[in-house]
Amino acid sequence: MALNEMFESDGTVRPHYRAYAEWLAAMPSQRLDEKRAEADSLFRRAGITFAVHGEATGTERLIPFDLVPRIIPTAEWDWLQRGLKQRVTALNAFLQDIYHEQEILRAGVIPAEQVFRNLQYRPEMQDINVPMDVYAHIAGVDLVRAGAGEYYVLEDNLRVPSGVSYMLENRQAMMRLFPELFANCSVAPVEHYPDLLLDCLRSVAPAGVRDPTIVLLTPGAYNSAYFEHAFLAQQMGVELVEGQDLFVDDEVVYMRTTQGPRRVDVIYRRIDDDFIDPLAFRPDSMLGVPGLLMAYRAGRVNIANAVGTGIADDKSTYPYVPEIIRFYLGEEPVLSNVPTYVLRRPDDLAYALAHLDELVVKEVHGAGGYGMLIGPRASKQEIEDFRLRITSDPSRYIAQPTLALSSCPTFVESGLAPRHLDLRPFVLSGSDITLVPGGLTRVALREGSLVVNSSQGGGTKDTWVLER
Amino acid sequence: MRLHIRHETIYRYDRQVKHSVQCLRLTPRTEAGQKVLSWELQAPGRRIEQLDAHGNLVHLLTLDTPHEEIRISATGVVDTEVVEDSSPSARAGLSPLVYALETSLTSVDESLKDFAMGYAVPEMDEHQAMRLAGAIRDAMDYVPGATAVSDTAAHAFGLGRGVCQDHAHVMIACCRLQAVPARYVSGYLLSEHDDHIASHAWVDVWLANERRWLAIDVTNRVLGGAQHCRLAVGRDYLDACPIRGVRRGGGAESMQAQVRVSADALPRSPIGGRSRLLQQVQARQATSQQEQSQQ
Amino acid sequence: MLSRTADHLYWMARYTERAENLARMLDVNCRMTLLRQDEDAVRRRWTAMLSTVGQLEPFLAAHGDVSEPAAIQWISFEGSNPGSIQQCFDSARENARAVRGSISTETWETLNTTWLEVRRFRNHPLAAEVSGEFFEWVKFRSHLARGVLGGTMLHDDALKFTQLGAYLERADNTARILDAHLEMLAHQTIKFDDVGDYYDWGALLRSVSAFAIYRKVYRDRITPRRVAELLILHEPMPRSLRHCMSAVQHTLEELANTRSVETQRRAGEVDAMLRYGRIEDVLAQGPRSYLHEFLARTADLGSRIANDFLVSEAT
Repeated sequence: MALNEMFESDGTVRPHYRAYAEWLAAMPSQRLDEKRAEADSLFRRAGITFAVHGEATGTERLIPFDLVPRIIPTAEWDWLQRGLKQRVTALNAFLQDIYHEQEILRAGVIPAEQVFRNLQYRPEMQDINVPMDVYAHIAGVDLVRAGAGEYYVLEDNLRVPSGVSYMLENRQAMMRLFPELFANCSVAPVEHYPDLLLDCLRSVAPAGVRDPTIVLLTPGAYNSAYFEHAFLAQQMGVELVEGQDLFVDDEVVYMRTTQGPRRVDVIYRRIDDDFIDPLAFRPDSMLGVPGLLMAYRAGRVNIANAVGTGIADDKSTYPYVPEIIRFYLGEEPVLSNVPTYVLRRPDDLAYALAHLDELVVKEVHGAGGYGMLIGPRASKQEIEDFRLRITSDPSRYIAQPTLALSSCPTFVESGLAPRHLDLRPFVLSGSDITLVPGGLTRVALREGSLVVNSSQGGGTKDTWVLER
Repeated sequence: MRLHIRHETIYRYDRQVKHSVQCLRLTPRTEAGQKVLSWELQAPGRRIEQLDAHGNLVHLLTLDTPHEEIRISATGVVDTEVVEDSSPSARAGLSPLVYALETSLTSVDESLKDFAMGYAVPEMDEHQAMRLAGAIRDAMDYVPGATAVSDTAAHAFGLGRGVCQDHAHVMIACCRLQAVPARYVSGYLLSEHDDHIASHAWVDVWLANERRWLAIDVTNRVLGGAQHCRLAVGRDYLDACPIRGVRRGGGAESMQAQVRVSADALPRSPIGGRSRLLQQVQARQATSQQEQSQQ
Repeated sequence: MLSRTADHLYWMARYTERAENLARMLDVNCRMTLLRQDEDAVRRRWTAMLSTVGQLEPFLAAHGDVSEPAAIQWISFEGSNPGSIQQCFDSARENARAVRGSISTETWETLNTTWLEVRRFRNHPLAAEVSGEFFEWVKFRSHLARGVLGGTMLHDDALKFTQLGAYLERADNTARILDAHLEMLAHQTIKFDDVGDYYDWGALLRSVSAFAIYRKVYRDRITPRRVAELLILHEPMPRSLRHCMSAVQHTLEELANTRSVETQRRAGEVDAMLRYGRIEDVLAQGPRSYLHEFLARTADLGSRIANDFLVSEAT
């Protein structure tokens, strides 16, 4: 039985939802319908859309926005925040170690082969020092709640996590639609995220640079997250650049402006490692900057997130994160991992093969839903097909129990009904580590569905962290 | 052996190129087994140099005035010798395991997998590695022009033809299938017939037992030796190739390369022969010192 | 600002202006042929028009012979014609899309709507009788785009690059329209001081929205000399070469950077040539030769602007 964020199992409203529930009960349903329509036009006018792959150019869709907020009580957030900071601190320490002394490998905590025989380990980063020893400046950690309400980390997104613009726009929409709600419930603000991000990026400028020039590097208007790139650049007041706007000369990165070349010190890139420099990685990349890696390795420019962070959020590293926290911080992890079977281990493999119909099996180098088996939902044939794939190369897979994700009342065709949720808070690491109270709550709009991805019918909600 | 090397590359473009950046790996590696007596790189534009992740010396060349051709030449003298341990990166930062991972150019298919598994051994050694190299060479004729630089190991193997790059990629792929680290080596070769071949590619295979890299020239079915001058190593061609560039504008490109490697009148050592190694080393060091004092 | 952003804004404006001027040129041709039923003359006009827009050869390759409906269709919508009105609107919209973050929502919506709606006209062949509606629509969309830019954008460098593009394009186009007109009459001797053929010269004036302006400025009958003067040298006339180049010169001064000194000098030279020029001298040189020289200078300015501001490879 999945936990409902708003109601106890006996149907009474949980204390932190009480103020909202009273307001909701007093709200005529017709008025709510009007508000939903208003929200729709708000988002459309603001151009908060995402491009859909495979459809004609110009096709843009809204991500459905749900009016019922996901509310997190103060104490719970304090605890979550502590866990998130701990986790991201440890992962940054892990990256620093992996790309330098590799003590964790020598200590035998993680098999060396696990790290080095992984495309996400970037030899180019070996022995390169990065400012503040920070690699994952922006982390979008995916959390879910299961069963009795315990939180689990599902994924540490340390490469180019997206979605923060929805967090900000959702809040803005809620405040415009229901100003009276915010007067009654003390919701912690999230609007200062762009300021924190800018501070974070400034703090990791190359040594000696006093007033760094920061740019946001986007793959361009055809990228599905382009709206977010433009939004963040505008909110931070930094230039939104494409690869062709930058060039490298004498280990320095410049942008081409109408007033001539202007030096760039920090690049907040929203392009994958593989595409940022055609001379270093994929030669067919049209999105990158030739020679950027050499400037970066020489320490003349900083890149956020650093090149090579993928080794820390890879599914093959994930099962080791609790050990990573213990190793670097000497602390017990605050946040739990989802119990994970590492199929390269014979015992785990045997268990998984015997319980495929209960497990979620994921490919370690896969991303977002591809190469994945959801046991309870798969047909016999699909399970058998997957069994063959696993046995031919078990080291490519991990398996996890299917979690009963928590749910929250959500507006659907038939009215309010519980739908499953996850939560992605954004953790910023620079000279210090900060996060705004909240995050992006994604909701699976189809009944029973556990898939919250916007490309597969997911929606979003405003996320409230209560101040008292 | 003293190798005199002259390598000239000319790129010509149909239309003017407005801006181009070239990444050059055209300087012999500093490592046991070869000593650079003199080396000169001539190329237009501004350049910077840096050691890359694999310990290769890289020059980044920036040309921002319109041009219709680029001429790059590398000239120099290198003393080479056969050494037991040619394992610079065993000491350097990178783990050999980095070279045990499949890359897209060294990717395999079922047929190459089946082939490789026929040569799987519990522990890679010199004999086994040479046996594998010989089998690859038997399966793949040396046919210039049969493949393109972007072709994968599986593709070339399927064709049964290729050039040194393909032989190297297939060898690397077969080693990696058995979790044996192997890396791509780009460099120059002094050939039997003095005035041809020259720009060449071969492989280093990691012998875990002996904790060293073993150089194997698959194309010529020999161990790497004094005829080989090493420019760069990497996971595959893309990491180690002599010139990699991007440009804006220019239309179609044609490339013309000429390499000439010749040896001093020093006695040529038979391939794989190591008996006179020490004498050679001494002789080489003596001559090089003499030369330096003359300068 | 980023050179790429400036480049997109500049071309967004140029393409929009170009679409408008194509419609103007088509319009004058249609008006002329409505009045004259002489088939040879009609064919000559459309042949000249296709040649002016550099499409005569591809058109003949596709159609074999010149006919009015086919020529209108070709210049308005033909997909293989990179300079058709529809392609201009497509390009304007593509450029706008690439810098959506740097333009106002209204500007984007205007160009996007134009792009969507131009397809509405494409599917019925445009006979001269119904084409007027389309040309008016094209002009109206261009007016709207210009107004929306000025009325909703911050008046900073971004807007100035759109103005630079629009004025340079308009100067080029007005010169071409006049040149094409003179070419059409090349088989006869033009008596510049006599009263011109009312329909010929009247249509030309209308094509640049200058019929009423002419009346207001000269309060007299139409002579080719005055038409040329109005279109080339008259500052207050918004589509005259003088007006456009004065704006180009002025805008360039505001945008100046360390590389653009020579470009500014050349723009100033063109401006002075028009500012202090006299129609007698233009006619003495030969108006077509004068216009060709002018077109070469605007082309040179265009490529210099591109080098100095828009694609700055040099460091």
